[in-house]
Amino acid sequence: MLDFIQGPLVSISIVVFILGLLFQVFQFFRLTRKKEWGNPPLPQPMKPEKKTIGQQIASWLSALNGTLWKTDPVLTVVTSVFHILLIITPLFLLGHNTLIRLSCGWSLFSLPESLSDGLTLIVLICGAYFLGRRLFLARVKAITTAYDYIMLLIAIAPFLTGFFAYHQWFDYETVILLHILTGELMLISIPFTKLGHMLFFFLYRFFIGGEYSFLRGSRSWSW
Amino acid sequence: MDPSFSTQTIQKVDTKKVKEMLNRRKGKMKRFLSHCAHCSLCAESCFLYMKHRKDPHYMPSYKVINSLGKLYRKRGKVDWKFLNEIKGIVWRNCVLCGRCYCPIGIHVPSMIAFTRSILRSQGVYPQRNEISAESWL
Ligand code: HEM
Ligand code: HEM
Ligand code: SF4
Ligand code: SF4
Repeated sequence: MLDFIQGPLVSISIVVFILGLLFQVFQFFRLTRKKEWGNPPLPQPMKPEKKTIGQQIASWLSALNGTLWKTDPVLTVVTSVFHILLIITPLFLLGHNTLIRLSCGWSLFSLPESLSDGLTLIVLICGAYFLGRRLFLARVKAITTAYDYIMLLIAIAPFLTGFFAYHQWFDYETVILLHILTGELMLISIPFTKLGHMLFFFLYRFFIGGEYSFLRGSRSWSW
Repeated sequence: MDPSFSTQTIQKVDTKKVKEMLNRRKGKMKRFLSHCAHCSLCAESCFLYMKHRKDPHYMPSYKVINSLGKLYRKRGKVDWKFLNEIKGIVWRNCVLCGRCYCPIGIHVPSMIAFTRSILRSQGVYPQRNEISAESWL
């Protein structure tokens, strides 16, 4: 069992993760179709006015007022930091890249260990902030079920156990086993749970046209 | 619940039809429901939420979770009473103005509109004397 978790299950989880995401991309393109109608022609872009640097910065800053930065600046910062580090930290981690180099012969570069450790701590703090919102904010509480706590745990657990392992808190063997297990759990659950927003954020907001899409949107739902 | 919203006589629900409608669009709708992070960031983009002193019942995500979400969870096996319970959510608590903003890109109005069409297929919809008597703000 232990050998299985530390050996084959690592590869299995990575394969499920990648194939799962590919399956979801495939499903998305099956469920949507190319827009039949052309977009109405956009008016000719106006010649941009010459702006001083000060005016340019002011106009960028005022554009932020139309975003979540205006309604909830704290969460906007926390969630941006959380999501960026969620990807970057494990990807450029010495502990991971050593293992990857051992099995593939090649890996990405690694950040200094103390930096990675600090970033891990920041992810944990962001996780605590999400937990706090869920526990105490009425509007989040109104839509929270046990499932949300479980998914938050699945997202945070690899960082918590990784942090413990790095600091050699508790029994290292057990902690690293838990780390690997929770890491695998997270990878496997991403394509099939609400963590799937990692992929679908891009599909929904770049491919489907709508008031808030980032591009004009080339596809629409078939149903 | 507002008493004026349940004045119709009880009717039988064609659960087979409801299930068929749910299945036809489940690829899109179940993904939307599943990918909602339950983060409440959409709340403030809904004017009805703002005008009801930020009552969570008017939050876009709350409205879909408790109408369409429940229909899928019950797999369409619902009765007349249930459909009338969610009727207020999809007609009174949302006007389909389309202004709600979800960072992930979940399109709440299409889910509410879909729920309306399911209810309508079962003869559940606002009666003449209801809507005009409603004051929203
Ligand atoms: C699935 C297989 C995985 C394996 C085999 C693995 C293995 C390891 C190892 C050996 C370490 C080094 C511990 C030490 O320094 O003694 C580590 C640390 C760490 N892992 Fe993983 N890991 C896996 C998945 C993940 C995932 C999916 C994430 C996050 C998304 C993650 C996040 C971290 C972090 C943040 C640390 C460093 C904590 C710190 O330095 O404070 N790991 N992992
Ligand atoms: C890479 C693209 C991703 C994007 C654009 C994205 C976007 C978002 C957005 C907009 C939210 C809602 C705002 C919030 O509550 O913070 C959110 C929430 C969340 N995301 Fe992501 N996400 C991505 C990847 C991931 C990944 C890979 C994970 C974890 C494996 C993850 C875990 C979470 C969690 C746990 C929450 C909910 C926090 C809570 O409980 O309130 N996200 N994400
Ligand atoms: S609909 Fe979007 S903004 Fe609203 S709770 Fe769900 S994920 Fe968050
Ligand atoms: S469509 Fe409905 S939920 Fe969305 S902003 Fe308008 S009233 Fe609110």
